[in-house]
Amino acid sequence: MMDRYTKLQMAGIYFAITIFLIFILLPFFEMFMTSLRPLEHLFRSPYQFWSDDFSFDAYSQMWVTVPLLGRYILNSIFIATSVTAITMVFVIPAAYAYARLDFPFKSASLAIFLGVNMFTGAVLLIPLYRVLRTLGLLNTYWAMIVPGVAFLIPTGIWLLRSYLEKIPRELEEAAYVDGASRMYTLRRVVLPLAVPGLIVVGVAVFIGAYAQQFLFAITFNQQRELQPLPAGLYEFIGYQSVTWNEMMAAALVGVLPVMVIFLFLQKYLVAGLTAGAVKE
Amino acid sequence: MATLDLKAINKSFGTAKVLHDIDLAIQDREFVVFVGPSGCGKSTLLRIIAGLEEATSGKIVIDGQDVSTAHPVDRGISMVFQSYALYPHLTVFENIAFPLRVQKLQPTELNARVAKAAEILQLSDKLKLKPGQLSGGQRQRVAIGRSIVRNPKVFLFDEPLSNLDAALRGDMRVELSQLHRELDATMVYVTHDQVEAMTMADRIVVLNGGKVEQFGTPMELYHHPATKFVASFIGQPNMNLVPGTIKEMTPDGPVVALAGGHTMTIPVEATTAHVGSKVEVGIRPEDVDLGTDGLEVSIRVLERLGGASITYGSIGDGTAFRASLSGNAPVREGETVHLTVDPAACHVFDADGRVLRRQAAPGLVA
Ligand SMILES: Nc1ncnc2c1ncn2[C@@H]1O[C@H](COP(=O)(O)OP(=O)(O)O)[C@@H](O)[C@H]1O
Ligand SMILES: [Mg+2]
Repeated sequence: MMDRYTKLQMAGIYFAITIFLIFILLPFFEMFMTSLRPLEHLFRSPYQFWSDDFSFDAYSQMWVTVPLLGRYILNSIFIATSVTAITMVFVIPAAYAYARLDFPFKSASLAIFLGVNMFTGAVLLIPLYRVLRTLGLLNTYWAMIVPGVAFLIPTGIWLLRSYLEKIPRELEEAAYVDGASRMYTLRRVVLPLAVPGLIVVGVAVFIGAYAQQFLFAITFNQQRELQPLPAGLYEFIGYQSVTWNEMMAAALVGVLPVMVIFLFLQKYLVAGLTAGAVKE
Repeated sequence: MATLDLKAINKSFGTAKVLHDIDLAIQDREFVVFVGPSGCGKSTLLRIIAGLEEATSGKIVIDGQDVSTAHPVDRGISMVFQSYALYPHLTVFENIAFPLRVQKLQPTELNARVAKAAEILQLSDKLKLKPGQLSGGQRQRVAIGRSIVRNPKVFLFDEPLSNLDAALRGDMRVELSQLHRELDATMVYVTHDQVEAMTMADRIVVLNGGKVEQFGTPMELYHHPATKFVASFIGQPNMNLVPGTIKEMTPDGPVVALAGGHTMTIPVEATTAHVGSKVEVGIRPEDVDLGTDGLEVSIRVLERLGGASITYGSIGDGTAFRASLSGNAPVREGETVHLTVDPAACHVFDADGRVLRRQAAPGLVA
């Protein structure tokens, strides 16, 4: 057991946590406050933190200003969900192979996967554009899904592989001795035991997919109806004015699904991210 | 009906040679125990028999058929792992039924077979539980249940009792012996515990450094150990090994002067030794008695176990010497006593650790 902390140390720890949380949460708080203010308050000088005409008007007005807002939010969720599903289809067998099988260039290819992660999508935008044009995928959902999947597979493999490696090898050997094929063992033994790991990887991929949509959407897609939320938010920038309060309201509503997922799966996330850090 | 023959099995991991020319012929319905210190290659040999590991060279023959490259199921073996290897997310029923599900057996037949296995192993009321809800002994039984539903020809066990506490281990030993009789099957059992080997085996294979030291019945190993290694591995407390020198050859055997000054004529065939040879004399702690002459032993520690008293001490030149005396033997710590030894009960090992054949052969039916 680790020593208990003294009162002073506890105070220090909480102080540090508080600073950290403020740093992380302040933008969200400011977004929320902005969304509550009438537009003209935003430009008031001097800046007034509190005012008595806060309202949720922006939350209803935003649907009028940008009529396709609902569609954008659904697009975001649809794209992120598709990316996650397709990524998992590739990641599960690949991670299992890296965790259990021996094949030539195993560590070299794994290193290359990590290397791919070093490139941000931005560096590869032009080549990707040409590839997607050749394949005739520009201005479709696929234009945003395919690159998303490609960039998230490496992360997924790395995360899931380390999780699968912790499943005792003897379980698979027992299944093998009893006549089970690799696929049967994967389906009946390995995957059920890997559910927490799958959830962690799935959530990580989903969040990644949600975050990276913007870049792919504004470069590879001109179709208004297919745009995800981050690109759709641009429509709050009008010819004369920017309706900041409605934009913030829309952004918050758009982030909501991710937050909800986090809250529900938090237990698994904490366990999954720390698992493997210590050898049992 | 299943015989199991190992023919010149060799195994290397990279440059490390783990098994050397293992030749064994195991008979139908025999309970054979592989015993040896940790790291001697027991598990590797068992895994080669199972088909989980491939031998570098050599053949596995089951029932006269060469199965060296066959799948475990086609070999007709089943295996119980040291860690039980139960599937934590499946119920006891599904764990036991796993091999049958793989075979896609009819539900009625499957249910009947699982029920029968569960009955043999007294698990009938536990079928709906998950492994996590069971005690160590029950988990062990589930693992055995999974191995018996398939009716294999050969059962393989890798240290199945080593995760259990001492009392439970004793019970399970008895249960496994009983199971062996009920199933009438060939079983190969790996352990590092010589007590398990002695109590359960029909025959014991003593492995050391990847080589077979000796293959024989427990009593053969006890009374006629082929090497110093086997002699000191089998028997509790361990055999004493006292250095000595052959002084003279007589028709009754060599006259050996032991360290510490005692001299004995030991009835063994001194074929590989001659006058002047350095030897080691093996004396089992239970083969000595308190007396007025014989070895002079100073007692350092005395353990009274009730039925027996174990003394730990040394003879004149400092060689450690253990003795197992009667429960109320009149000895005290710090005392020096005389222990008499029947020369016929002694074992003699030459400088290479090989035994000199005993003329009298206790415990062996000729
Ligand atoms: N997969 C492996 N790769 C390399 N060396 C191994 C492997 N498995 C076992 N060994 C080595 O082989 C030797 C025998 O191991 P093992 O059969 O497990 O011994 P035992 O079961 O008798 O304790 C040990 O020295 C071990 O380090
Ligand atoms: Mg072992």
